[in-house]
Amino acid sequence: MRGLTLLKPTLLAIVLVICFSVANGSATSSEPTSHGREIIFAIGQMPLNLDPRYATDAASERVNRLIYQSLVDFDQHSRPTPSLASWLVLSNREFQFTLKAKRSAFNTPTKIRSTFLNARDVKATYDSFTNLADSPHAAEFSNIQEIVVLNDDTLIFKLKKDDANFPTKLLIGILPAALVEKNHDFSHHPVGSGSIQLLDWGNKLTLQRVKDGQRISLLEVKDPTVRVLKLLHGEVDLLQGELPSELIQHLESKSEITLKNSVGANFSYLGLNMQDPILQSLKVRQAIAHAIDRETIIAKVMTRQTRLASAILPPEHYTNHKSALPAYDYNPKRARRLLLEAGVQLPLKLVYKTSTDAQRVRLATIMQAQMAEAGIDLEIRSLDWGTFFADVKQGNFQLYGLTWVGIKTPEIYRKVFGSDSFPPHGFNRGRFSDASLDQLLVVENWPAVTKRIHAQLPYIPLWYEGQFAAMRNNIIHFTPKTDGNWDDLAKITYRKVH
Amino acid sequence: MKKFAITVLSFWLIAVMLGRLFGLNPNSIDLNAILSTPSAAYWLGADDLGRSILARLLRGVEVSFVVATVVTVVTMTIGVLVGLIAGFYGGKIDQFLMKITDIFLAFPGILLAIAFAAVLGPGLVNLTIALSMTGWVSYARLTRGQTLALRYRQHVLAAESLGATVPRLIFRHILPLLASILVVEATYSLASVMIAEASLSFLGLGIQAPNASWGAMLRDGVRYMLVAPHYVLIVGLSLMSLILAINLGGDYLRDKLDVRTEK
Repeated sequence: MRGLTLLKPTLLAIVLVICFSVANGSATSSEPTSHGREIIFAIGQMPLNLDPRYATDAASERVNRLIYQSLVDFDQHSRPTPSLASWLVLSNREFQFTLKAKRSAFNTPTKIRSTFLNARDVKATYDSFTNLADSPHAAEFSNIQEIVVLNDDTLIFKLKKDDANFPTKLLIGILPAALVEKNHDFSHHPVGSGSIQLLDWGNKLTLQRVKDGQRISLLEVKDPTVRVLKLLHGEVDLLQGELPSELIQHLESKSEITLKNSVGANFSYLGLNMQDPILQSLKVRQAIAHAIDRETIIAKVMTRQTRLASAILPPEHYTNHKSALPAYDYNPKRARRLLLEAGVQLPLKLVYKTSTDAQRVRLATIMQAQMAEAGIDLEIRSLDWGTFFADVKQGNFQLYGLTWVGIKTPEIYRKVFGSDSFPPHGFNRGRFSDASLDQLLVVENWPAVTKRIHAQLPYIPLWYEGQFAAMRNNIIHFTPKTDGNWDDLAKITYRKVH
Repeated sequence: MKKFAITVLSFWLIAVMLGRLFGLNPNSIDLNAILSTPSAAYWLGADDLGRSILARLLRGVEVSFVVATVVTVVTMTIGVLVGLIAGFYGGKIDQFLMKITDIFLAFPGILLAIAFAAVLGPGLVNLTIALSMTGWVSYARLTRGQTLALRYRQHVLAAESLGATVPRLIFRHILPLLASILVVEATYSLASVMIAEASLSFLGLGIQAPNASWGAMLRDGVRYMLVAPHYVLIVGLSLMSLILAINLGGDYLRDKLDVRTEK
């Protein structure tokens, strides 16, 4: 009995200690630090790999842009501009890069001596691709014959074959040579010279801004409704994209939330199998293009500032300045007539493959209803992502819907529509082969290339989805970008509201 | 309990018939009515594509009834046959059949159905096949146990000694005695198949767009819970009431058919 009476207060004390420590632990995340309160950013998908030589998913690339610095970047018209270095074209096989005088040091862990980025780090980063057979970017740099370091600031890239666009490929974040030699695990312990460094990667990914120590955590919340609820309850401070338009409107009505919009540059399209006997007919492809009422879809179910698309690269891209192409208008009667002229028996049965993503299925269902008016009986097959993407890569489809994200260079046209770019050598998944286009691609006459693709319709262009970010009112200095990057995390601020 | 079950089941059956009679179109899209609340034009409101929730609810329950009935008939046929053969013959045949049954039983039914549906691909037919492949086990176990008990009853032995064939013994002298138990089991199975169908459709492995399914409607409804709570509530309550009615109906039948509890 005496033991039991002693046990009770002991248990009570343990419970109190646990409660106190839990409460204390939960408070630390929102407590103001000497650098301001931690900012929590809710994202739909956590980065998968923070080694820029391996990263391919959007979240990893967006974080890597902050952790590392690259030699080259793009301006608002997607022209390549110097980032870490300016360059001199010695010939189409030789490019001399000179690093800027004012450079950052690598944000190394405390145990390792920090060094300033120099030409040897650049060489080590790009040389390492020769040993990385499993890197998805390795093929991009297989044309490099040699990298010659002239001094700390200057180096020359020598190529095996001519490539006038080579500088546009140098987007890989620069790694410290000393750690590259030691085969450091950059995937989980990134070391870069960017404006942000990684502090911790557990349930959330915690970053720290170098200049002022501001902490920013990326928290994965897959469900859009939960993301919105967490923002409304103040559990997170910021979210960007990946919400249905109805939830965005819901957020707009909340006084404690600030919503910011911008146009987008990510291109959504319908891919067609050009080896399909029916879809080989240009009139059938034109009929499909005229059977979709893009304007109504954009107005009713897309986010604000979504724009009609007519090419992979958006109108503000430097290759499109003199060749604004009209979008195919919605005209079901014309579509029906084109189908009849093509000798197709109506209704034309087509299979459309898409992922199980709710918004994708929703859009497919609207297009199905619109196409029915033009005499097209569209069967929707929504497949899990793995199966769907494998089918697309293998050419096992008639129609599919996807989006190109973060495309900057016109080289994409060669990779997507060139006759020599059938998978696995490129992304010509519809197996489009056009001799006239191939000639235009060789001479890099991009306006003519864009026009030819627009006329031949190997893709049915849909739209560039608008970008938006929703944040608590005390978050400032964050604006969504056209390609959805998170560059503003380098200056985002938590403002105390009294 | 009995009244509730009969009322709810009758309501849904009549509603389905009336829906067909009035030609409600569950796939008619009206982008101006997206997620609208109940009104004269849309009695239960409209979904995320401006389609009538009422029309889709009725078509969805029709699909549920059809899938549940077909799957129950198929699984009961397979399961009862396996159980009768195993229980009647016993020995190695019984061991072999029960080993197969145990393998299926060892794996969670819904998980197996998800795996089958993923391999076969989404769609109504494949969904029915996936659910049928996993649902026969409980019938086989039940039938086998009862058959073992009935196999050496006096009337079966008498018929056997009079020269009755095996099919006659099984179908004339054993199966009729199992009927009441199987009917009760089938009622419970109807409810579980309906839930399984809704679950697979919720995961995107069932009925494909634009066809209506309660599971897919629930999935969409959850997505818009903040802006159109009526959508998910209507579908959720409908599914709950129907499953409850079927289960209560099963309880009623069990009590009615069980000689020990019949008054």
